[in-house]
Amino acid sequence: MSKNAKEITLVVDGVEVPATEGAMLVDAAKGGDVEIPVFCYEPKLGGPVGACRMCLVEVEGIPKLQTACSTPVRDGMVVYTQTDRVQEAQNAVVEFLLVNHPLDCPVCDKGGECPLQDISMGWGAGRSRVTDPKRHFRKPVPLSPLVRIDRERCILCYRCVRFSQEVAEDEQLQLLERGSRSFVGTFDDRPYIAPFHGNIIELCPVGALTSEAYRFRARPWEIEDAGSVCTLCPSQCNVKFTVRDERVARVLCRDNEEVDDGWLCDKGRFGFQMFHSEDRMLGPMVRAGGALGKASWDESLSKAAAGLKAAGPRTAVLIGSQASNEEGYLLQRIARQALGSPHVDSRGGQGLKRETAISLSRPDLGAAMTDIDDAESILVIGTDPLHSMPILDLRLRKAMRDRGTRVAVVSERPTALDGGAEETLRYAPGDAATVLSNLAAELASSAGGEGGEDAERIAGALDPGNTVVIFGERIGHGPDGERALAALLACADALNLSAPGSGLIEVPETTNARGLREAGCLPAAGPGFAETGEGMGAEAIRDALEAGELAGLILWDVDPIRDLPDPATWKTALGAADFVLEVGMFGNASGGQADVFLPAESHAEKEGTVTHPDGRIQRLRPSVPHPGDTRHGWQWLAELAFRLGHETGIDSSVEALEAIAADVPFYAGLTHEEIGGTGIRWQERDEASAFPTAPSVQIRDTLSREITLGEERGDGEAASGSIRLGTYRDLWAYDVTERSPALRFLMPGQTLELSPADAERYEVSQGDQVNVRSNGHSLKATVAIRSRMRPGSGFLIEGLAEQGSNALAGAESVEIAKAEDPT
Amino acid sequence: MPETRVLFENLDEPGLATMDVYRRRGGYSAIETAFRSTDPDDLIFQIEESGLRGRGGAGFSMGKKGSFLPRGDMEKYLCCNADESEPGTFKDRELMFKNPHALIEGIAISALAVGATYAFIFIRGEYWEVADVLDAAVAEAYEAGYLGQNILGSGWRVELVVHRGAGAYICGEETALLDSLEGKRGNPRLKPPFPAIQGLYGGPTLINNVETLMNVPLIVSKGPEWFKGMGTEQSTGTKVVSVSGCVQRPGNYEIELGMPSREIIYDLAGGPAKGRKVKVWFPGGSSAPVLTGDDLDLPYSFEAMADAGSMLGSGAIIVGDDTVSVPELALRTARFYHHESCGKCTPCREGTNWTVKMLERVVRGEATPMDLDIISSVQENIIGNCLCVLGDAMAMPVGSMVKKFRSEFEEAIAEARDAAPGPIDVAGADEPPLVLGATG
Repeated sequence: MSKNAKEITLVVDGVEVPATEGAMLVDAAKGGDVEIPVFCYEPKLGGPVGACRMCLVEVEGIPKLQTACSTPVRDGMVVYTQTDRVQEAQNAVVEFLLVNHPLDCPVCDKGGECPLQDISMGWGAGRSRVTDPKRHFRKPVPLSPLVRIDRERCILCYRCVRFSQEVAEDEQLQLLERGSRSFVGTFDDRPYIAPFHGNIIELCPVGALTSEAYRFRARPWEIEDAGSVCTLCPSQCNVKFTVRDERVARVLCRDNEEVDDGWLCDKGRFGFQMFHSEDRMLGPMVRAGGALGKASWDESLSKAAAGLKAAGPRTAVLIGSQASNEEGYLLQRIARQALGSPHVDSRGGQGLKRETAISLSRPDLGAAMTDIDDAESILVIGTDPLHSMPILDLRLRKAMRDRGTRVAVVSERPTALDGGAEETLRYAPGDAATVLSNLAAELASSAGGEGGEDAERIAGALDPGNTVVIFGERIGHGPDGERALAALLACADALNLSAPGSGLIEVPETTNARGLREAGCLPAAGPGFAETGEGMGAEAIRDALEAGELAGLILWDVDPIRDLPDPATWKTALGAADFVLEVGMFGNASGGQADVFLPAESHAEKEGTVTHPDGRIQRLRPSVPHPGDTRHGWQWLAELAFRLGHETGIDSSVEALEAIAADVPFYAGLTHEEIGGTGIRWQERDEASAFPTAPSVQIRDTLSREITLGEERGDGEAASGSIRLGTYRDLWAYDVTERSPALRFLMPGQTLELSPADAERYEVSQGDQVNVRSNGHSLKATVAIRSRMRPGSGFLIEGLAEQGSNALAGAESVEIAKAEDPT
Repeated sequence: MPETRVLFENLDEPGLATMDVYRRRGGYSAIETAFRSTDPDDLIFQIEESGLRGRGGAGFSMGKKGSFLPRGDMEKYLCCNADESEPGTFKDRELMFKNPHALIEGIAISALAVGATYAFIFIRGEYWEVADVLDAAVAEAYEAGYLGQNILGSGWRVELVVHRGAGAYICGEETALLDSLEGKRGNPRLKPPFPAIQGLYGGPTLINNVETLMNVPLIVSKGPEWFKGMGTEQSTGTKVVSVSGCVQRPGNYEIELGMPSREIIYDLAGGPAKGRKVKVWFPGGSSAPVLTGDDLDLPYSFEAMADAGSMLGSGAIIVGDDTVSVPELALRTARFYHHESCGKCTPCREGTNWTVKMLERVVRGEATPMDLDIISSVQENIIGNCLCVLGDAMAMPVGSMVKKFRSEFEEAIAEARDAAPGPIDVAGADEPPLVLGATG
């Protein structure tokens, strides 16, 4: 809808209704409290199709009945939705829909929350004249391992097919056959495997598509809905938990156009099964006699306090994926104020410099998610949103599809967006700094051609002043990280990202990365990026632990051996620590080195706030009671601080947020009420003006021409016979996949991705088992040949429990050999 | 009254399908006039002035439709609907097969009139022989410079492609035709936007029937006044009528519109076999509400047929004599539309399916007269409520048959019930259930 749309008045059933010109009648009528029934209409799926004919209404001056879903309103339009003629048509459509619908409501999962039931009762004649046999299909067959389809119940509204073809663009679902013999299916009956396909269950207006994880587990009158936010990835989609008997039974979308556009990925939808995993730790544990044993909270907190007190300023805190702002804030407060240690990090690599952190969070540089919808061009650099922030992938697709937005993808690895992108560029793993420097040089030069051909190509697709730049956190990791971020900021400057509607969006490695940084979980910056003593980043913490310079460690929801580079050193480091406090849901993160283990909440139990990568502060609301002997994180952290002699004055989550708001100037005055159900971007509050200024990042030095760097390294030729190895975190390479039975089949095995040229060079083919060796480490992988891969690059998956690739991360000289045939 | 052979002039001359013979008979003279000396807007004006109405079924003024296309520099398209699939209709087949160049000439002139650069002939796949003839003629026309770049030095370009359909009736519906041409499943689109505004590949598109387009060169050569001189005030020109069914000389006849229907059926087509009389007839293809023997004196024109509650449609007269069972005819008609319904919209998908089931019961002797009320009501519920007119195309004839021949239906029900063996079985209980889809 254009921003200067005219306000008009129409008359619906004799009542004047104000509306925006061009809005669809079905939506405009709601303003007059008139509900027009629909089945196929769903604005999330794109334009109306007018297929179900449920929304027929009478419009004065038009002889035929019109579909309200596709009729734009005009000023003075007179509409009738209740006349005999309209009612006859509505009755008729309901009757037609039931000609082939089995009416097996008593045994149907959808019964009680079924639009077909509601509309049949509300707009149908109440009885059917159909006496003929209905069509029969084999009853529910798997459409995928997660979704069953009952084709007898299907009313052929096309919603699921439209989702597959026009939203997810996987194009797997089709309407097969024709007329009343049509049915929804896939080519050759193949399973519908796609990362967003669970949405079709929710789109289905009848019980034709049911969830493998929910069917027959609850009836609508036994359940309650609880709204919260999914923290399984940085998308932070708004969700509704379906709660039955104090357990989460299902996860649904809670539409928030500014966050998720009303979609969920399958991880968010089915990953709730992890909450009920048998392996979940539901109470505190304390090491006694060499082994961890159950203990009370009192005993565990005392032991934890004693251990931490002994380590004192030689304690480090590592905060991982799902910590809330409150938890992160209290952890850094314990470290800094109770223990006097500045060693707090929430990122995997070396510590982020304070000025860089400030520059990346600058409110004028921040784009909102909805800015993607209106941008002229988008640069995606160093990330594949499908894996790292899946819902973003759908939003980018929407922009390309609906508005023809030019997207340039610059990445190490082929991405899911390449197909629709205007330009793509592959760089060698770890070379983000070079690519960004070249691009910055190109964008800054008025004549063009300064940054080399590739940079010129990418720059040509971008529209300064009307661009959103989406970058992966990991471009800032590794030895060139700071340089890459400086070059990124130079690009931001040249692209005039401070203009309204433009900006940066970071795709972080962890869910609440932005919130944790703003709450003070960085070694060089306290809450609100306040200046603090210079602490150590994750890598330095590892080395200091190994060297005995640090003695204590708090691990919050982070598994260094699985997630961070150099697991071997981490193993030694953890063993060398005097005291390790581990917090997690599953108790396996410290390699068995924890002295005290405290159980973490799932995101359905948590109370607090998280900050979306675009700065939207969202509220986590406890949706189910605490299972076992688990507690709110903020609650026991405040208690631990107290036992360490530091009174926080925090006795509720409200006070925890108040404390953050008091310490973070640009969060000042923030309350739960203000955050509300859909969150609020802090950049849009007046308090954003309190954002700190910092010495600007030195970007000049990085703008030297570095075009030849990649070539000098010779990765294109690979004369040495080696490839540059990169790693990526697959969408499914997380413990939530292992812990949720429904998702387990998606857990990837270790895969070595190679370009066709390299595969030929190494004499391996698709599906071969190979040993990948480097730096004295070795792992087994299956070869996958990707045509859009850059020759000279190879990729492995991170985050796998076995054959983890973090041991090889950053390796430059890699040997690849076919595994010997076990026979 | 005899035939008025205008489109059919020289039609049976051997070799008319070739460039040489067609040109010798005055062919491609209109294209010379149009491209050398006529303003496109004037072409539209002439077509509109002639009163030429679409010959494919809807009878919409071609000139008016052409004037709906936006002017200006943009990619515009022309589609010739040669998907002639309406039961009883076989006129385009003969016209294209015997005189393809007249169609090409008509397309080139019409493309010029609306400013379309790309034109397509969407021909039903079963007409493979005709498509071969068209392909050859198109190649000749390219060679002679009547198609392609800079036609006759005018600077105008028209590219023409013959596209073979895949055998779905629905693809004769103009928007389904566009989807099919774009490579998608041939399902009708929501209108508006109409194709004249947003058609093929989103561009303004003129879609016309073969016969309509073939009239264009004649109008350009002889002038709209000449064309208007034939037919009635609202139905100008001639019409090729396909007569089939219970007649002694079935075939295509070109008549001046307004000719009494009786003369077409009896004088031209020879009427039913000796001793039989016309009981029921479709005046405009199987989608038209049926007329009876009492309606034979109606003039054969768009307006007279509409006044009689039917339509001239594609000009296909299907005649049933007194040996024809109307319930069987209704079932046959309904089955066709049920088979061809695309399934996108509810009333058509379910309505055609339900109607077939009810009519099958009528014929099998498992119905009651009450079912006739339900059949009638279902047809009324379909008409006007669908996404396209396919549903109406079944509901109108079937509804009219039940209405006009109700006593015959009632007798058929009674007879079939008497003849049915023993107690009535549940319909279809002895058939194996339809099982489709994945096993498991």
